[in-house]
Amino acid sequence: MLEINSLTTSFGSVVALDGVSMSVQESKITTVIGANGAGKSTLLRTISGLEHPAKGSITWDGKSIIGWKPEDVVRAGIAHVPEGHAVISELSVEENINMGSLFRRRVNKKDVAAALEETYHLFPRLQERRKQLAGTLSGGERQMLAISRALVSRPKLLLLDEPSLGLAPLVVEQIIDCVNTLCRSTGLTVLLVEQNANTALGVADHGVLLALGKVVADRPAAELKADSSLRAAYLGY
Amino acid sequence: MDTFLAALFSGTSRGAIYALVALGLVIVWRGAGVVNFAQMGQAMFSTYIASALIQNGNSYWVGFFVALFAGSILGALLDILIMRPLSNKKKTELLSSESMRAAVPVIASLGILGALQALAGIIWAAEERGFPAPAPQEGFSVASSIMPFTSFDLFVISIVAATLVMTTLFFKRTGVGLAMRATALNQEVARLSGIRTNFTRALSWAISGAASSLAGLLITPTSNLSPNTLDLVLIIGFTAAVVGGLDSPAGAVLGGFILGLVISFVTFYLSPEDVFISILGVLLVVLIVKPRGILGGKDARRV
Repeated sequence: MLEINSLTTSFGSVVALDGVSMSVQESKITTVIGANGAGKSTLLRTISGLEHPAKGSITWDGKSIIGWKPEDVVRAGIAHVPEGHAVISELSVEENINMGSLFRRRVNKKDVAAALEETYHLFPRLQERRKQLAGTLSGGERQMLAISRALVSRPKLLLLDEPSLGLAPLVVEQIIDCVNTLCRSTGLTVLLVEQNANTALGVADHGVLLALGKVVADRPAAELKADSSLRAAYLGY
Repeated sequence: MDTFLAALFSGTSRGAIYALVALGLVIVWRGAGVVNFAQMGQAMFSTYIASALIQNGNSYWVGFFVALFAGSILGALLDILIMRPLSNKKKTELLSSESMRAAVPVIASLGILGALQALAGIIWAAEERGFPAPAPQEGFSVASSIMPFTSFDLFVISIVAATLVMTTLFFKRTGVGLAMRATALNQEVARLSGIRTNFTRALSWAISGAASSLAGLLITPTSNLSPNTLDLVLIIGFTAAVVGGLDSPAGAVLGGFILGLVISFVTFYLSPEDVFISILGVLLVVLIVKPRGILGGKDARRV
C-alpha cells in the first residue's frame, strides 16, 4: 500500500534517514521502533511532506508522493499525528477536531457530521469537553484529540508518532487499544512510531527496527519481540 | 461638559479608524507572520482609486466599494507575487539566521510602501486633494442646540462597529475563519489537517487590505489625500496594535480606541503639540507594565 525505497533525508550535514526501504501492508499495524535519534519521526515527517527527502521514493496507492505538500498528502488519505500531542491550545476541542475535516465539508457534509459523532463515540471524554479550550486538557486527552483530528479526515493510513510520549501507562494502554480496535474493525492501516518497543510490538503485525537512520531489522512483530539479542544491541534492555 | 463630549465622540470615531488599521496589521501578522509596513500605502492607493472614480462623475458609493474591492485584491496580489516567493525556504537559504530570514518580508513591505507612494505620485500628482465624506461633517442640531458630534462621526463609528462584528463572526463561525485561525496559531498542524495555508495567507492579506482601505476612506475626509498622508495613521495604528497586543485582534481594536481617545483628549484639553509625547507615554507605560500588550500573549500557551 505504502512503498518506501532507499529514502534519504538530511538536515544540513546530518543524515537523519539513510537509504530506508520498507513497506506498509493494508489493514495492518506496522511499527517502527528504535532509540532516540534513530530517524523515526523524520521518516513520518518525510512521508507526510513536512520534510523533503534528498533521495529515494515514496509510493502511495501506485503514485509517487515525493514533493507533495502536506495538505495534499492528507487529502490523498494519509493522516499524520505528529509527536507531542499536537493540538492547537487556543482553539476549542471541537474546533480542533473540525479542523481535520474542513477540506471535506463541501464534498460530503453529512459524512463530516458522522465522522465527528464517531470520534465522540470513540473518545466520550472529548464530547464532554467539546467547548473547552484544548490547552486545558490533560496529556492523554490531548493525544486523543490529535488522533480524532486525524480520523475525521477519513484516512486510509494513519501515521502515529510516539503516542505514548509523556503519558501514564494506563492511558497509553487505552490509546493503543483504541487504535488497535479501529484497525481491526474498520480496516484502517496504521504506521506506528514508538520508542516504547514492548507496547508497540505487542499490538503490531509487523515491526521495523531503525538505528541511526538505517533499517536493521524488518520482520513480523512477534519475531522481533522474541529476539533478545537485537533488543539488547539496539534498544538497550 | 460640551468639550468633554466632543472629545469623547471625536476620540471614539478616530479610535474606530485606528482600530481598523491595527486590526489589519494584526491579521497579517498572525496569518502570515509579517509586520506589513506597506499597509497604509495600499490603503492610500485604493483611496486614490475611489477619488479618481468620484471625480469622474461616479457616486461616492461606487468609489467606496470599488476601493474596498481593489484594496483586497492588491493585498492578495502582494502576498502571491512578492511575499510568497520571498518566504520560499530554498531561496533564502543563503541568509544565515532565522531572524534575518524573518526580516526579509518586513523590508520588502517597506519597499512596497515606497513603490506605491511613488506610483501614486506619478499617476495622480503628489499634491494634496480633498476627499468627500458621505455625511456632513458639521455638528448637527437637535431642537436648536448643536450636538457635540457630527453625522460623519456617527457614520464612522457605526460602519466600523458593523465591520468588527462581521469580522468576528467570520473568524468564529465559518470554516474558512477556522482555517485562518488554525494557520495563524500553528501552521504545521493546520497543514497536516489539510488546510491550504497558501490560500489562507493570501486571504489574510486580502482582508487586511480591505480593512485598511476602509480606514483610508474614513480618515481622508478630515486629513486630505496625498501619497504620504496615511503614514501617520500607520504609525498610530501600529502603536495601537502593540499597545493592545500584536497577537490579539481584540487587543488591536482596544488599542485603537485607547489611542483615539488619548489623542482626542490631549488635543482638546492640552494642545495638539502634546499628542506625540502622550502616544509615546502610553506606549512606554504599556510596554513596561505588560510587555506583550494589554491582551497579548497568554503564558498558558507554554504549558
